[in-house]
Amino acid sequence: MAQFALVIDLNTCVGCHACATNCKEWNTQAAFGPLSDFDPYGREPQGVWYNRIMTYEMGEFPNTQVFHLPKSCLHCQDSPCVPVCPTGASYKREQDGIVLVNYDDCIGCKLCSWSCPYGCREFDEADKVMKKCTLCIDRIYDESLPPEHRKPACVLTCPAKARFFGDIEDPNSEVYNVIKERNGFVLFSDAGTNPGNHYLPRTETKVHVDEHLLKHDNPLFLEVLRRHHVGG
Amino acid sequence: MHPPISLIWFFLTAGVSIGLFNFTYFMEFLTLFGKNTAMPRQAVIISLVISLVLIGLGAIGASFHLGHKMRAWKAIKRFHTSWLSREAVFSGAYGFVLFLYGLAYYFNANLFIQHSLGILTFVLGWLSAFSTAMIYASNKFVLEWYTSLTVLYYLNMYLMLGSSAFLSLTYFYRPEFVPTYLFLTFLFVSLGLAFRIAFNIRQFIIPRPTINEALNLPHNRPIRVLDTGTTTNNYCTEEFYYKKGKDLLGSVLPVAYILTFIVPLFLILYAWITGNYNYNFFKIAFASLVLGSFLERWCFFVEGNHVQNLFYGLYPEEGYRLRKGYMERKKTVIRL
Ligand code: SF4
Ligand code: SF4
Ligand code: SF4
Repeated sequence: MAQFALVIDLNTCVGCHACATNCKEWNTQAAFGPLSDFDPYGREPQGVWYNRIMTYEMGEFPNTQVFHLPKSCLHCQDSPCVPVCPTGASYKREQDGIVLVNYDDCIGCKLCSWSCPYGCREFDEADKVMKKCTLCIDRIYDESLPPEHRKPACVLTCPAKARFFGDIEDPNSEVYNVIKERNGFVLFSDAGTNPGNHYLPRTETKVHVDEHLLKHDNPLFLEVLRRHHVGG
Repeated sequence: MHPPISLIWFFLTAGVSIGLFNFTYFMEFLTLFGKNTAMPRQAVIISLVISLVLIGLGAIGASFHLGHKMRAWKAIKRFHTSWLSREAVFSGAYGFVLFLYGLAYYFNANLFIQHSLGILTFVLGWLSAFSTAMIYASNKFVLEWYTSLTVLYYLNMYLMLGSSAFLSLTYFYRPEFVPTYLFLTFLFVSLGLAFRIAFNIRQFIIPRPTINEALNLPHNRPIRVLDTGTTTNNYCTEEFYYKKGKDLLGSVLPVAYILTFIVPLFLILYAWITGNYNYNFFKIAFASLVLGSFLERWCFFVEGNHVQNLFYGLYPEEGYRLRKGYMERKKTVIRL
């Protein structure tokens, strides 16, 4: 069975939010729009986003790495958000594995969002229905677009070329091979959701801290001292 | 989790309705075995009307949880997979058959019809309660809820509300049953207290996933959230992490314990031991139970931690301690 999905390279993603922005741009105006904004020019601007980018720091000072994690619906192969939906508004397409919400059937009970371990569904307070990433299904099947444009908006826009799109079950596809060759992994593999979207792990870099870095006037040195002090 | 008031309202109305019907019909049912337990006609009719009105009010209240109330009927479509769908079907059917039973009773229909409808209402009521409980107990991403304790406790609360409400009816209509219902109320409230304590203790000992598991990264690497990509809260942080509630939990939970369990237990025990069946005791005990249960359900929601919070650094750390150990969200102040 086909499973369309995204593969995101954590080595090259620079956390620029271009994918999230272009996602919002496209999906606000296209077939699944709008993605409502609330108080957009105020102090607490809130809105619906299909794609959000988190930033994490891994490791222990001074050997730390920062990485960015773009996260949108992962189009799980065993999607827990689908069976809990009381109306059948949430469904997984047989032909390509894309998980969608039928806005005309959704009663806005929010139960599907409770059942998604990734926090990838968002309730649109204006439309009172649940929304989520559609993998730009309205782009990828649009025959009026040139073939190279029949991809999700986030993939087309990524300046670092960190995003791949395709059928992860098809051995001839780019995504299938890149997952295989570079040990693609999924989020929360224990959750039993079997996500479609994969991530390519960061390659390890060893940082060698020179002694001169720990000089007295180096602010990092003060940080070491402080931690040592707190720790001891 | 953010506590939806409409769902707490449904819990209380459905709880008193189903619980009260449970005991009202049970007394009727026993007459089939030659027992002299039938409540006077007036008492049964009052009880049925209360149950019917409450389940109606519950359904109306619960609809406020929905974004689209007019489409609520569509909730019946996924009966085979969704507990919410089952809840909608069973609670609707319970209300409808309860109404039919009321008519049959009022017009003295033949006993076979009466009891068939009565048993059906009884079963549908409990199926509805069970389905509601399963909505929470089957959510494996809120570990506090993901246990059969949630179901047992939930059903027991219905019995607790029902027996304490029925106590008033026995007081006015069959005083000789007051000691029985004092005992039953005492039993269910004590069981409720035991379940609640177990529920709270369990929160300390459940093994919790870490952010490393969420991100599928090596366990020996410390990981910190630097940025969640937005300067304000969003649907996910507000729905799954209710900051104000977390702050209040430490004060609300003890009050919930006192009102739901301690006050009713004390009053019931006092009445039982002294034989002083003062109606005010029963009234206060019932009011305390209802108010306490409201707070208790509020706590139940706030205590629930959804694993998606891991991505935001808002999940209790390992070695979870009640009210402590929540990572503070980075405050971003925008000055214009
Ligand atoms: S556009 Fe590309 S580089 Fe920028 S945040 Fe998205 S995935 Fe990362
Ligand atoms: S990521 Fe969440 S919303 Fe998307 S398919 Fe998986 S469980 Fe459903
Ligand atoms: S919010 Fe809509 S899509 Fe989600 S479970 Fe409820 S009806 Fe289904």
